[in-house]
Amino acid sequence: MSERRPTALIADDEPLLRSSLARLLAKAWPELEIVVEARNGREAVERFEELAPDVCFLDVHMPGLSGVEAARFIGRRAHLVFVTAYDQYAVQAFEHGALDYLVKPVEPARLADTVARLKERLGAAHAPRPASGTEALLDALAARLRRDGAAPVHLRWIRLSVGPSVRLVAIDDVDYLRADEKYTLVAWRDGGKPEEGLIRTPLKELSAQLDPARFAQVHRSVIVNLRSILNVTRSSNETAEIRLKGRPEILPVSRSYTHLFQQM
Amino acid sequence: MAIATPSAPPPPRRGLARVFAPRRLAAVAIAAAVVSLFIWPGWQSRYVILYGRLLFVGLWMLLSFGVLEVWPARLPRWLARWGLQVMGVAATVPFAAITVYAFMTPSDPPFWEDTLRLTGFGLLNLFGLLVGPWMAVSAVFRQITGAAEHQALTFELTRSELERKAADSQLRLLQARVEPHFLFNTLANVRELVDAGSPQASPVLASLIAYLRAAVPRLEEATSTVERELELVRAYLEVMQMRMPDRLQYVIVADDAARALACPPTTLLTLVENAVRHGIDPSEDGGRIEVRASVRGERLLAQVLDTGVGLAASGRAGSLGTGLTTLRERLALTFGGAENVRVTLVAVEPRGTCAEVELPARRDGGA
Repeated sequence: MSERRPTALIADDEPLLRSSLARLLAKAWPELEIVVEARNGREAVERFEELAPDVCFLDVHMPGLSGVEAARFIGRRAHLVFVTAYDQYAVQAFEHGALDYLVKPVEPARLADTVARLKERLGAAHAPRPASGTEALLDALAARLRRDGAAPVHLRWIRLSVGPSVRLVAIDDVDYLRADEKYTLVAWRDGGKPEEGLIRTPLKELSAQLDPARFAQVHRSVIVNLRSILNVTRSSNETAEIRLKGRPEILPVSRSYTHLFQQM
Repeated sequence: MAIATPSAPPPPRRGLARVFAPRRLAAVAIAAAVVSLFIWPGWQSRYVILYGRLLFVGLWMLLSFGVLEVWPARLPRWLARWGLQVMGVAATVPFAAITVYAFMTPSDPPFWEDTLRLTGFGLLNLFGLLVGPWMAVSAVFRQITGAAEHQALTFELTRSELERKAADSQLRLLQARVEPHFLFNTLANVRELVDAGSPQASPVLASLIAYLRAAVPRLEEATSTVERELELVRAYLEVMQMRMPDRLQYVIVADDAARALACPPTTLLTLVENAVRHGIDPSEDGGRIEVRASVRGERLLAQVLDTGVGLAASGRAGSLGTGLTTLRERLALTFGGAENVRVTLVAVEPRGTCAEVELPARRDGGA
């Protein structure tokens, strides 16, 4: 379809395994250009948003956001190949969902099969992207890979637009969320530094997905991370104000929510 | 795995229910019947009266036997409980006999002036004194042997339970060692070192071999030393550092006194593997592991600190987790009870965890 070389992303938390896969790919598929390597799922998603490679090789087991969770964010925008060292359950799930996967240490013959399949799909006029219906499978797999797989699944990551780039933010790093016309403003911390970003998901929809032990709605348009609260002061008319740790903003607490902060 | 357990003994009866337990009542009733057969041939009155009198005396003896079983609560050292019971039973006989003849069946001339009735009174006393204390002695004896049997059974049960636990933890130790995930990932790394012609390949392979040698357990080996444990920990950490050079730093600190001490195999390794698996590996930025071994008085203290994701983030708040719980069980079995060992896992500020093991300090390898 186009003359440009196909591009790929490799995500693995172990640097030697990233270079190992790159070395094997260079032999099996010399035209493929590895445009970026990522150290974890979050980096993989952020780099993918930046560079939109054709193929993503995702290690299943990565710190923070796993390869399977990253796959959910990337969705059907790329061809995905999962890489795992040993996980019978994951392998079964991939087989079941007709997803591409490689087992570490990667065998050159097996990689050649995968490359042939990928070339075929990339070469098709309207490249058929991974089948739909795999989302549920990936969700189940992601829940199982997490250690607290039994706990109710709350939102753990938010994909934000920060200026022109996309950032993936852990929900624990979010200080508060504020409804803002068409968007929701997300105030978070990048290694302690206060940052802000926007998402399209309405506040109401987010509120249902948040862990109620950590986040509380305090106003029609504000949800706050309870750990980020410095103090709460009562003001007139049965309302209150929240001051945050390390941020200058003051958040309003409306009358119907002041009971959250009443002393017993 | 399940072993047959004898059913628990019924809860002990208390108060009168215990004194007049059905089995005891039956014994008294049968004894009264047997004795009545001896007296009956010369008896001039109705059988019911004979049997009633015998039963009455018997029940009084049973009452005093039962009362003295629990009262007084404390006895002087020279007086055995069973002796007191037998004497009490004997002493009850004349009083009960007098009560029967003088008050329950009073007659116009008092019974001691009536030869027939006096004879009956005498026989009642005689048989009461012959049979009562003897039955008391046999009852006490039965109780003593019963208690001994029960104790022996309980002891046997405890012992087999301990053996089962030891076998269990040995089995879990076998199963837990060398995760395939660890092995295949590590081998994939080593292969890359070899393919790339890295000079690191050989030393890393040596560390992997050292780790595998220790981690694939040899059953006959029951003890190790802190020194050897630390070598194993270093081999493991070197392998992990090859795999995640940007995410893992470590330091091992131990004094010579601690290095010489005995230590059950893979105790320290379990703590360190735990710190990597739950602290460093889930963290994007990784962290640092500090392994310390020292002697505190008569105790060996081993600490593993990590600056990883912490307890809450890895879902371990308030619990030791499977690995450390198994370790604690194993150590408790090795050192003769949970009170002799301590395994704790606490959060460290600003982030990370500290796992500690405290054991009795033993110098020799054999135990």
